[in-house]
Amino acid sequence: MTNTASAQKKKKRLSMHQKQSLAGWAFLTPATLLIFIMSFYPMFSALLTSFKRGKPTALVWSDPLWRNYQFMLKDKVFIQSVTNTLTYLIIQVPIMLILAVIFASLLNNRDLKFRGLFRTCIFLPCATGLVAYSMIFRTLFTYDGMVNNVLIKLGVLSEAINWLNDPIYAKAVIIIGLVWRWTGYNMVFYLSAMQSIDYSIYEAARIDGANSVQQLMRITIPLLRPIILVTAIMSTNGTLQLFDESVNLTRGGPGNMTITMSHYIYNTMFTKNPNFGYAAAMSFVILVMVAVLAAVQMKVGDKR
Amino acid sequence: MVKNEQIAVENAHHCVGNYDRMYTRNRHKKVNGSAKSTKHTCVFASICFAEKKETTTKKEEDWIFMKKFVTLMLALAMTISALGALAEADGKITIWTWDPTFNIKAMQIAKEMYQKDHPDVEIDIQEKLSEDIETAVIASNGDTTTLPDILLVQDNSFQKFVTNYPEVYADLTGKYDYEGFAQGKLAYSIVDGKNHGIPFDAGTAVAAYRTDYLEAAGYTADDLKDITWERFIEIGRDVKAKTGRPMLSGQAGAVDTVLIMLQSCGASMFNEDGSVNLKDNEQLKEVIDFYATMVKEGIFIEVNTWDEYIGTLSNQTVVGTIQGCWILSTIMSLDTQKGLWAMTNLPKLVKAEGATNYSSNGGSSWAIVNDKDLDLALDFMQMYRNVDFYNEILPATSAIATYTPAKEGSNYTAGSEFFNGEPIFAEIVEFGAQTPSNITGPYYYDAREALGTAITNIILQGGDVDTELATAEDTVNFTMGF
Repeated sequence: MTNTASAQKKKKRLSMHQKQSLAGWAFLTPATLLIFIMSFYPMFSALLTSFKRGKPTALVWSDPLWRNYQFMLKDKVFIQSVTNTLTYLIIQVPIMLILAVIFASLLNNRDLKFRGLFRTCIFLPCATGLVAYSMIFRTLFTYDGMVNNVLIKLGVLSEAINWLNDPIYAKAVIIIGLVWRWTGYNMVFYLSAMQSIDYSIYEAARIDGANSVQQLMRITIPLLRPIILVTAIMSTNGTLQLFDESVNLTRGGPGNMTITMSHYIYNTMFTKNPNFGYAAAMSFVILVMVAVLAAVQMKVGDKR
Repeated sequence: MVKNEQIAVENAHHCVGNYDRMYTRNRHKKVNGSAKSTKHTCVFASICFAEKKETTTKKEEDWIFMKKFVTLMLALAMTISALGALAEADGKITIWTWDPTFNIKAMQIAKEMYQKDHPDVEIDIQEKLSEDIETAVIASNGDTTTLPDILLVQDNSFQKFVTNYPEVYADLTGKYDYEGFAQGKLAYSIVDGKNHGIPFDAGTAVAAYRTDYLEAAGYTADDLKDITWERFIEIGRDVKAKTGRPMLSGQAGAVDTVLIMLQSCGASMFNEDGSVNLKDNEQLKEVIDFYATMVKEGIFIEVNTWDEYIGTLSNQTVVGTIQGCWILSTIMSLDTQKGLWAMTNLPKLVKAEGATNYSSNGGSSWAIVNDKDLDLALDFMQMYRNVDFYNEILPATSAIATYTPAKEGSNYTAGSEFFNGEPIFAEIVEFGAQTPSNITGPYYYDAREALGTAITNIILQGGDVDTELATAEDTVNFTMGF
């Protein structure tokens, strides 16, 4: 009697586990299906499109399948856009991350008054809309815009700079815009990571005679290493896909000099004669670049 | 009942943690209701909050089921209604166009005139920017359910869109009477010998100048009529020296002015056979020569945005402008400058063959979308063969007709108050008759962008004209070679 009862109880327990896992699958299925339909299927479809050519409503397979990719290597505008994007990446990301670390370590000081206010001020640009801030920066940096007026009044400039019409200054405007916008975002990451660093370490270092710069270099940064890696990967990802600033701030710059890869893809699809296959091929090149850079960063940064 | 409640609540508390442990605990307790219902309650409670009652009566179960059913039906209904937003032949005409002072106003007047005789036809005019319309057509990928019945297409983009989306743009050959429309204008909407559009406004280029600034330098508007670009640059230098103002302005890299100058001698960026004509285009080189000289000497200032360009007119920074005649509606909106403007024709090129003082920039045509209310739309578009209609829209929008009989209208021959009584509209129609046409083709915007890059390089970085044009031609050939 007891045996059958316990056997019954055992059976029930097994089916309980099964029911548990079934319930788990049941809750995961809708989300998985959605991701497959909305993300993976379009990605795969885009890969197939990148092997096709022709009019948008009448795509045919390319003759050597990788024809679009071959053309990409010879496309001067594409190479220009890649150069531009990599320039932004190499200059903007380090500046932004270094500034974010410095701000975070400054704001980590317990004795600083109005810390909350400073934190909010530095983080607030992050909450602005991309298009809105790009358009405002464009107005600020015009020939008779506020920036020129202020700099001339302060005596920094003797003559107004034509920011948006100069190949180097236009890139500088984009970099300034990006640093302004994203420093706060990364700073918040670092601040929250710094909360886990014990205050006694800093006290000990101060007793040993370390000044604040040494504290930053020897204590804070090594301890923040995993977070720095995460933000570096996210920033690289974001900068490689830069679009809004290129479209709204400089409109591709004076003659394609500040155009980014995503902007060029948009132009290929919508402004010029629509070439879907080529646009899809370029998108995949961006994907590969992002993946490679992320892998490199993980290799270099991750000690695990 | 109370005991069940207590047990259920107790179980609910433990539900948040280990499910298995909870079930074991539950099994050992004696409950009045079925163990099953308590278990279900705990399952529910582990996800939501603790239930007060541990069994649901039939009535409550029915109510819960009803709620779920109604929610599901609502969701379905909303999805389906969203899909059927712009249905097919629905007896209603939807129109997409831009510019409330120009195209939209013209369509509103057409709507009023049409509804006098057909009061039961619904016509919906929606404002949509030109780029947004183009994006919407591309994004539709040939699916006409998301598109309106009639949309406005820039003449420069017409060939590109009809070539790429033949299933979207209805073939109107034989269905609409094209007698009386200017040939040069009609050519933009003819693809492969078939008519796909109904011409709307003429983009005839005009030169408009501030007479007060010219007087300050000792010139009148007549001194700028029928001249060459060489003479224009001379006058420009003088005016700049005496008044400090540049003669013209334009958007940097937008090549509007360069293309106007190019078309004035009948040349284009493409040859008859569709091949690119940039590298060996001697007329283009002469144009670039004049243009670069003007920019360098400050006779022509390049600004960064379209708003800045309009700003040079409203803030009175420049002496004049050379642009399509649609700029007149913007100029005439500047009430404080009434009576200070004069209009004349363009300067012409010197060395180029077939150089004239006339050109055009812009202008658009109406296209009707397939698989929709084609006959109704065609009936409505008969308004664009109505001389009274063109007469009506002229003072309101300054839209110049490309329908030749319209020039007899009273408003065309009347003088314009803003321009000191000059009959500018009749003059513009005359200009239009002498404007050479040009070749666009599907790759017009590719060539335009490449030319813009070349000119930016020439002016900003002092690049060599021949090299830059060769690069531009290579870029366009590359795009065409896909």
